[in-house]
Amino acid sequence: MNSVDASEHYELGATDLSPSLLIIVIDTNPHAWAILEDSLPLSKAIANILVFINAHLACNYANEVAVVASHSQKAAWLYPSHNAPRHGPADRDGDVTMNGASDAQPPKTNKYRPFRIVEEQVTRNLKELMDSTTGDDLRGNMSTMLAGALTLALSHTNRRTLAWAEEHGGANGDDAAADGNGNGNGGGGSTATNRYSASNEDERLQSRILVISVSGSSDAAHQYIPVMNSIFACQRLNIPIDVCKLSGDAVFLQQASDATKGVYMALAEPRGLLQYLMMAFLPDQRSRRHLVLPTRVDVDFRAACFCHRRVVDVGFVCSICLSIFCEPPPGNDCMTCGTHLDIEGNAKPALLPRKKKKKKRVNGASGTGTPMSTPTPGP
Amino acid sequence: MASATSRPLEYLEGLPGTTFYKLYQQPSTALAIFRRMLPDLAKCFVMALLYLKDPLPTADLEVWVNSESKKERDNALSILGRLHILSTTLTGENVRAYMITNPFAASLRQALMGAEDSHSFGVFSQAPEHTLTSIADLDEYGRRQWEGVLGYMVGTSALSGQRDAVNLSKGVKQLLQAGHLVEIRGNRVDITKDGFGFVLQDVNTQVWHILILYVESAEAIGMDSVEVLSFLFLLSSLELGSSYDKSHMTPNQLRTLADLADFGIVYQEDADATRFYPTRLATTLTSDSSALSNPVTGSLTGSVGPSGGSASGFIIIETNYRLYAYTSSPLQISLISLFTNLKYRFPNLVTGKITRQSVRRAIEMGITADQIISYLLSHAHPQLRKHSAAQPNGKGVPASVLPPTVTDQIRLWQLERDRLRATAGFLFKDFTSLTEYQAPCQYAAEIGVLVWKSDRKRMFFVTRHEQVAAFLRSQKVGGK
Repeated sequence: MNSVDASEHYELGATDLSPSLLIIVIDTNPHAWAILEDSLPLSKAIANILVFINAHLACNYANEVAVVASHSQKAAWLYPSHNAPRHGPADRDGDVTMNGASDAQPPKTNKYRPFRIVEEQVTRNLKELMDSTTGDDLRGNMSTMLAGALTLALSHTNRRTLAWAEEHGGANGDDAAADGNGNGNGGGGSTATNRYSASNEDERLQSRILVISVSGSSDAAHQYIPVMNSIFACQRLNIPIDVCKLSGDAVFLQQASDATKGVYMALAEPRGLLQYLMMAFLPDQRSRRHLVLPTRVDVDFRAACFCHRRVVDVGFVCSICLSIFCEPPPGNDCMTCGTHLDIEGNAKPALLPRKKKKKKRVNGASGTGTPMSTPTPGP
Repeated sequence: MASATSRPLEYLEGLPGTTFYKLYQQPSTALAIFRRMLPDLAKCFVMALLYLKDPLPTADLEVWVNSESKKERDNALSILGRLHILSTTLTGENVRAYMITNPFAASLRQALMGAEDSHSFGVFSQAPEHTLTSIADLDEYGRRQWEGVLGYMVGTSALSGQRDAVNLSKGVKQLLQAGHLVEIRGNRVDITKDGFGFVLQDVNTQVWHILILYVESAEAIGMDSVEVLSFLFLLSSLELGSSYDKSHMTPNQLRTLADLADFGIVYQEDADATRFYPTRLATTLTSDSSALSNPVTGSLTGSVGPSGGSASGFIIIETNYRLYAYTSSPLQISLISLFTNLKYRFPNLVTGKITRQSVRRAIEMGITADQIISYLLSHAHPQLRKHSAAQPNGKGVPASVLPPTVTDQIRLWQLERDRLRATAGFLFKDFTSLTEYQAPCQYAAEIGVLVWKSDRKRMFFVTRHEQVAAFLRSQKVGGK
């Protein structure tokens, strides 16, 4: 008699398990890889990552993958790429669109070949990228274009989500589109999130981003705002950012995985990269519900100031737009919104007892602005 | 997914361990089984263990899984065990540990990392193409052949002179008969109860059904079932629209190939051609049927012109039991008429109403309510899907695609007739104490084999006894 239970019928619609899209952001900053040369050279890391990609593609027939390189002065697509001559009769040649994203979906009906296509394209594009890097580009440039890479990843996700939803029942597409519009009006964030996640959690394309980080990001502080904006976009779209840190100290990436409920792992032994990837980063969102995955407990919530891009523990926060400054902005006018701030009068007396300890580092204090709660509007 | 996976899974589980050993020699088989037969969590386990040097202690694996997901974990482990993928060993410190069994692990690693000169994933035909066979042609061929098979079963092929008649070979007809899908009485073909169930399934399930029948019958005509099975998995890993070389194949594989061509699963220009093309029916074998069968079903319905297009469904059903089907395919119309009272027929549309009478008539023929509902669901019009996705109910579950009143009512109509259901299984009884009874009973519930239990009588009934027996044994050892 249980078969007449109404709840069972509702499940009928939800049994379609959607594939997942994995976007891997590989930090290819040559400086950082040079340091890692002894334990894990780039070529070996790429080989490991390729096996991991194959494993991801093997998990579901329709799984998709995209690889972005976050290089020292630019972010570039490694896969899919539009300039690559794609072979095989399934070629959709002439179909060149922005960033080759239309090629993102490998020909649906093969399996072993996608492995090879991905491998070939990634290695070739990476080689091209490295060949095109000149010494001048590297001199005096220690950082990596993480913000650009994350943004590429996000736009790709959005495009694939829409396209996928369109292929599989129109309403999801409307939903996603509506949500995309919703992103613009800051305040409505939470309702948008709920609708996005609740209405068809299992039915839309499951996307996640994996950042393989080697550079220290204290020198990426100048990208603070775009990185944080990407993180908040991911948070709202329910896209977890997984971080696999091989070396360096990625301040903002800790916040990224924390805010988006992704996995954060700092590898003690970079040589075991593949095993770490297979165990911690392969499970998709559906499986993650059942697994205990490593996250970071002590997240570094420090923010970068808007004026000098320094990473600060304590700074000044504009009371109107919540912009963060390491020292009072010139003329006491907020650099972001232009509000005149009355700093001298209020801030100092209230915080005198604490100020004594911190005096050496910051010459003024007004609350510890956690970037978590800061909606950081871009300047 | 459950219905689609279960049949091949059941068949595979019935095979002896040595067969698995031979099957897993092929990377393509390992990959296909990994992808198709395993639940999500099992895939995670396999991948996590695949590159581990030492076996993973059972306790570690238990820690890795959330405590609330014990049921899923045990279910995953149970399937892995049944498919002979996971085995337990004792490590040096006498700790029980999991490891992936060897031919499977080696083959899967080979599939992921690539292997030198293995033909496991097919060999591209190098010969210059005389006639270009496009994907659309292949789809059309696959559609026509498959519809021909279904039409033969339902008996529409005789009626519809306008469709280009498909010549079914004797082998196909024999196979359908051997599988008890049709009965041939004299000159007439009568569809059986199983056959009705069969035609209402989605295409992917149908193909699997036929292929397993084929493998079963292969033994009878002197072919090695392992060889045929691995060949099927090989086929499923080929790429649509490419041609493959036949020169590497064994005579048995060539024979299989010729038989499969009759079903539209592969295409070859003629029997002596040096190459063959897999059709979509073959290449989607190991996909999630729900995720990708749409192009196939879409083209198979024949509702949107000869080229198929992307429209996947054509049936609209309203809460007042009225049904509108945008199709002109005689096959689909005759399928719908199995459980519907058809009223009007237009060039591209038939309308009708699902009534108690029509459903009971269908059920008397051996069609189940679930089959009707899954048929309606898999052919639901995009508008219906759109409608349901736009109205999520409060709990985060999308509303069902079909009107709940209709699905409920169809089931209720079936229940008017079906009051008994038989489940084959095993009864555990005569436990001496309640505690002794509770532990295995709970375990059985966790691995999802428990059907019925009675605490008072200390009995429970399971569909599968091996693991429960193993559990009881391990408890006995542990207790002493």
